[in-house]
Amino acid sequence: MSNDATRRSRTHVSCTVNGDQVDFLADDGTSLLDALRDELDLTGAKEGCGTGDCGACTILVDGRINCSCLMFAPEAEGCEIVTVEGIAEGDHLHPLQQTFLEGAALQCGVCTPGFLVSAKALLDENPDPTETEIRYALAGNLCRCTGYDKIVRSVQEAAVQLRGASR
Amino acid sequence: MTVTENRPDYKWVGTRPIRHDGYDKVVGKARFAADRNSPGQLHGAFLRSPHGHARILSVDTSAAEAMSGVKAVVTGADFPDLPIGHPERDTAVNLMARDVAMYVGHVVAAVAASTRAEAEAAAAAIEVEYELLPVVLSLDESIADGAPLANADNRTAFSGSDDPSNLATVTPLERGDVDAAFEAADVVVEREFDTAWVHQGYIEPHACVVDVGADGKAEVWASSQGHFRVRSQAAAVLGWDTARIKVIPAEIGGGFGGKTTIYLEPVAARLSEKSGRPVKIVMTRDEVLRATGPAPASKSRIRIAATNDGELTAIDGWIGYAVGCTGDMAGFVGAMSVASYKFPNLKMEFVGALTNTPRSAAYRAPSAPQAAFAIESVIDEIAQALDTDPIELRLKNAVVEGDLTSMGGPHPRIGFVECLEAIRDSEHYQSPVPDGAARGIGTGFWFNIGEQSSATVNLNEDGTATVITGSPDIGGSRASMALMAAEELGLDVHRITPVVADTESVGFTDVTEGSRATFATGMAVVNACRDLVGELKARAATIRGVEVDAVAWVDGAAVVDGHDPLPLADITAKAKSTGGPLTVTASLNAGGAGPSFAVHCCDVSVDEETGRVEVLRYTTAQDAGTAIHPSYVEGQMQGGTAQGIGWALNEEYVYADDGTMLNASFLDYRVPVASDLPMIETIIVEVPNPAHPYGVRGVGETGIVPPMGTIANAVSRASGVRLTSLPMSPPKVLAALDDR
Amino acid sequence: MPRAHLMTPLRRFTDGEAVIEVEGATVGAMIAELDRRFPGIGEMLTKGASAAVDGLIHAEPEYLAVEPDADVYFVAPLAGG
Repeated sequence: MSNDATRRSRTHVSCTVNGDQVDFLADDGTSLLDALRDELDLTGAKEGCGTGDCGACTILVDGRINCSCLMFAPEAEGCEIVTVEGIAEGDHLHPLQQTFLEGAALQCGVCTPGFLVSAKALLDENPDPTETEIRYALAGNLCRCTGYDKIVRSVQEAAVQLRGASR
Repeated sequence: MTVTENRPDYKWVGTRPIRHDGYDKVVGKARFAADRNSPGQLHGAFLRSPHGHARILSVDTSAAEAMSGVKAVVTGADFPDLPIGHPERDTAVNLMARDVAMYVGHVVAAVAASTRAEAEAAAAAIEVEYELLPVVLSLDESIADGAPLANADNRTAFSGSDDPSNLATVTPLERGDVDAAFEAADVVVEREFDTAWVHQGYIEPHACVVDVGADGKAEVWASSQGHFRVRSQAAAVLGWDTARIKVIPAEIGGGFGGKTTIYLEPVAARLSEKSGRPVKIVMTRDEVLRATGPAPASKSRIRIAATNDGELTAIDGWIGYAVGCTGDMAGFVGAMSVASYKFPNLKMEFVGALTNTPRSAAYRAPSAPQAAFAIESVIDEIAQALDTDPIELRLKNAVVEGDLTSMGGPHPRIGFVECLEAIRDSEHYQSPVPDGAARGIGTGFWFNIGEQSSATVNLNEDGTATVITGSPDIGGSRASMALMAAEELGLDVHRITPVVADTESVGFTDVTEGSRATFATGMAVVNACRDLVGELKARAATIRGVEVDAVAWVDGAAVVDGHDPLPLADITAKAKSTGGPLTVTASLNAGGAGPSFAVHCCDVSVDEETGRVEVLRYTTAQDAGTAIHPSYVEGQMQGGTAQGIGWALNEEYVYADDGTMLNASFLDYRVPVASDLPMIETIIVEVPNPAHPYGVRGVGETGIVPPMGTIANAVSRASGVRLTSLPMSPPKVLAALDDR
Repeated sequence: MPRAHLMTPLRRFTDGEAVIEVEGATVGAMIAELDRRFPGIGEMLTKGASAAVDGLIHAEPEYLAVEPDADVYFVAPLAGG
């Protein structure tokens, strides 16, 4: 058996994650998802497929949703990254997190981080979405437990609360 | 909406508190299987068979072992050869082929290396010499006369024969005089049906981290439906004492039956043992679809006789399941699922047959959905032939308490009629069918199981409590356990911490299957709490200086005539002076799991140009016995329904002739997304199960049984042509429309 | 005497008889007596069946007590997802 004699090529990446400036080294072939999970120990984003089909790894990159499994880590250079760990404000849950809890919008919970990030992106953009708009905005996130009913209702409820708060 | 029969007035049971593990899951703190890393860990990867059926002549790992970063390589020779008939032989053979690879994707060798990329590269460098064997891909090929064997080790279960066979099980059921009934019938409908292989589609791929120390002890971090089963299966496959293995339950990212068995842990253990390092293995989605346990494809022929006044007098038929590469109980259990209608005359045969495809695993009410699709379709056609309401026809023939199940034995108290009435009386069913759409009705049944559970309840110094069980929380069961404990102890549910403990920290608990967690583990919690209340009364008697008989437990306090109530926290504060810590453990093998019935109603439209079916409205009514946490009961109903809609309309394994799966990704194996579905309206029916202290019936599985028949009935009514093949994907629907 | 009700696949041992009167204070004792009279059926009943007594289905019911006039239904083994 060989030793790890040959060092792999690693790139220095500098970006902000959930408001904090971070620096890390990443193999060139490493996905941003793996870097977040393995280098920064932010394991909220999950890998459900690795091919951008399930949305469990959804994060915000400069305010837009992305499947972090489809981005190479070095592509995050200079970006503002937000993960599920960053959507609460201090010790106050984001209204989406609260309505997901109250509305039982999670069962196993493994898709939940991706849904919360996608739903936040939707409500940031469109504070009063129709049910159809919510369903299409979340169509890139797979949930196998809930049938989406309670997720959609929780997003609707969070939208109401957010509109109330901003009035 | 809830329809309730004679329910006592509970304070906590039936309320909807925020689940105790919810916070961690919305902030990203919850640790699932792949979320753990151990210092110094290696990464595992597999070499999988590219052939559907092949003898393994040689495996040369020398090149792989010499590669960068590689620390250990294992093959089938690294595991004991369990004899034919050993209960875990199929598990062992499936997670690492020994002499024969039995499907494309069957593991032949595994590598642990410093990085996953190195492990994958080394696995690809392992050289295997194969001798190709005939591939048996379909049910028809498997049961054909003179068919080659899909697995030469298989024997037909309970046949008494020691000859190799492709048949896993053959189960005939018979009662009454079917021939005479068909002769006397006014209406006879006969149809043939087929359904495709489908996958549970849990979003979390299988993963584990295993650390075997130099002392031979293994710590296993794994996602499963039952960590005690992980332990017993791993011990059997490795040939180890169970005491060497500690399994710590990670949060589980969906299972639906698919995580009731193991694929990774013994391999990671051997790699860890050989390398002296912790080993992490995480499946890719491709591996999950290709090589874990999907649900059997099926074919069936169903003939039902009826009289003009709507009595279903006889059923006659055959249902076959393609079960994959090892023996399976689908054919046996499927037989039990024909239990919804009285059918005085019945003659059925159920067959499970082996194929060179992945070993099938349980998927929510395993084998019942395929049977219900066929039977509910034929019953709908009889309703059409008799020009009668499909619910009234079912009400006329629905089983009630005392009616015989198909496998023998009378039904206990059940709520099928109540579910039919709930749908009949629903706003949905009473509303007009939308223009251009049609409405379908279907039903389903699952009997549920009890099995063994343990629970420990600890009262803390300040009167709070910890409820410790060994049932992984798949969809809110921690909250259910806490609610039952709250009701028993008279304690606020938020002052109770429900915990899922590892295999060394709680008594043995069977795997979470058969919708048993809230039923059986809940019963263990209730029993422990009742013993604890007895102890609390004894302590209160000591404090008050009275006989224990003089103490009553009322709403969380000990009540003695002539004294102020003594709250629980006042007793726990004096635990030290009254006999020590207040802790009770209860264990049981629960009998009397109550069957749960469901009735579904949906409206669909069919696009005549594209063949696309759109589900416009969907309502489900299901008997939960008693809904401990109604939100999570609704969630089970909705989730099962959504999976059933996928099974009905989109999902299928597509195989090439050589047994290669052609659509092993979530892009091509298309599960329903949010924009495919409407809201799924729920009606919880509560006909309490007399065998449970709170009347609980298992609710997890039944929801997936009715949707295929329900949707097929709606599509058939919308299109005027009977759809008999799943999935009802656009090409198939278009072909059916063309054949009108 | 308790009655054992046999699902169809078991009846090949009993020459087609569906209901057998059989002595036994427990399900296990009934199985032993059935196996004595119908050799081979015991293994199927032990490994391959559950028993429904008084409407409740029990897995591994060997020591389950049986009333003298009970109906014991031997049914397929239980499983689930």
